[in-house]
Amino acid sequence: MEGFLPVAHAVGWSIASAPFVAWGIRSVNRRIRANPEQRMLLGVAAAFTFVLSALKLPSVTGSCSHPTGTGLGAILFGPAAMAPIGAVVLLFQALLLAHGGLTTLGANIFSMAVVGPFAAWGVFRLAQALKLPFALGIFLAASLADLLTYVTTSVQLALAFPDPVGGFTASFLKFAGIFAVAQVPLAISEGLLTVVIFNALARFNPQELRDMRVLGTPEAKA
Amino acid sequence: MLIEQSAYANRWRTVAPDAKGLFALGGLVAAFAAAGRLEAALAVTAAVVAATVLGARVPLGLYLRVAFPALLFLAVSALSLALSVDRAPGDGLGVHVTGAGLDQVSRVTGRSLAGLAALLFLVLTTPLTDLIVLARRLRTPEVLLDIMVLCYRTLFVFSGALHDMRTAQAARLGYANSRLTFRALGDLTANLTLQIWQRAHALHQAALARNSDGPLRFLPTPHPHARRHTLLGGLAGALLAALGGLLAHGGAV
Repeated sequence: MEGFLPVAHAVGWSIASAPFVAWGIRSVNRRIRANPEQRMLLGVAAAFTFVLSALKLPSVTGSCSHPTGTGLGAILFGPAAMAPIGAVVLLFQALLLAHGGLTTLGANIFSMAVVGPFAAWGVFRLAQALKLPFALGIFLAASLADLLTYVTTSVQLALAFPDPVGGFTASFLKFAGIFAVAQVPLAISEGLLTVVIFNALARFNPQELRDMRVLGTPEAKA
Repeated sequence: MLIEQSAYANRWRTVAPDAKGLFALGGLVAAFAAAGRLEAALAVTAAVVAATVLGARVPLGLYLRVAFPALLFLAVSALSLALSVDRAPGDGLGVHVTGAGLDQVSRVTGRSLAGLAALLFLVLTTPLTDLIVLARRLRTPEVLLDIMVLCYRTLFVFSGALHDMRTAQAARLGYANSRLTFRALGDLTANLTLQIWQRAHALHQAALARNSDGPLRFLPTPHPHARRHTLLGGLAGALLAALGGLLAHGGAV
């Protein structure tokens, strides 16, 4: 929330996020020059991610939570595009819902728009290289992106607020333990949901997935 | 969205966004400056809340409803910061409340309350379209502004589509149990995902039909007396920041 992080941490995480967002903006500009329709696509994708984050997802523990959508976005649009898209979505969450804040924007961008999408994209590509089943690759990418996002948030909080007795390690274990109760079931739920989404997309609209280089081109049959 | 309702209906709707931005910036600076002393941070919070509720006439009930989730998050976080976990002298783990932990809670609570008040002042009095115009004046990269403009104009369309699809699914018992809920949510999100390409293509065609040459530009809303308001907002923000600093460094509250 607004003002939660000390000023040095708020500034430090903003500086850490800035190169990724700048690289994302350069990459998006190149895509727009090559294909002007991408300008609209990325704006609409940001709105989709914002709306998706408001969706209530049943957790495997019986409670409800909201999907982050970082895995889905990173697999569809790539991690570079997700940095500026994620930055805009997080800014809108602060300005339209008062979730997060302006001083915590840098830290949130780093965990949700940098670490999460890169983790998802890396895991998905690794699963493809290892020739794991498509659905398993999607599940691992979405779930691990979710988990790594919250591990990063725990690191950020532990660095900002080391435990007076046990220091960074005790603080990290405390925050990670609190997040684990909600986030491990949510990560599994989001992984399953992302598999259902990609199954539906692969069944009804495989061409879009091929255009985004998520699915391979079908082999010609004699 | 409650914040949108208030942003368009408050008394300071027509005040220049630069003025409100400067006052909110002063509030954020004051929040960090006053964080060392809880009473000082609470005084800054009270001043900014008074400006929002009494000055801009944002209804108090709406204000509290918007602030509630953030306050709940703060309460849970303060509890976890107050408790220290370490090895007990015997076996197992011990949970303690330490003086240093309570000091940390006091600093974080003060800073967060004042920071939240400053953020709420800005968003409850200023529509997002005005903030995007302000961001353009602050030389935000063009591509980020385009994503912001398109995101803002499309998110309500997506929200409407999501609501309609969900209603149709619920009417067909799509959410009757957790297995069906997963399937219904997957179909709903996949359907919504496809609309990304369809809507983007339609928008691109519409822009081409209007001779679009790239960046999306809109005429900003005129703000009468913008200079005077900006000067006043800047002065009020500077006073607030100075008040936060003075109260935190020994002044009486």
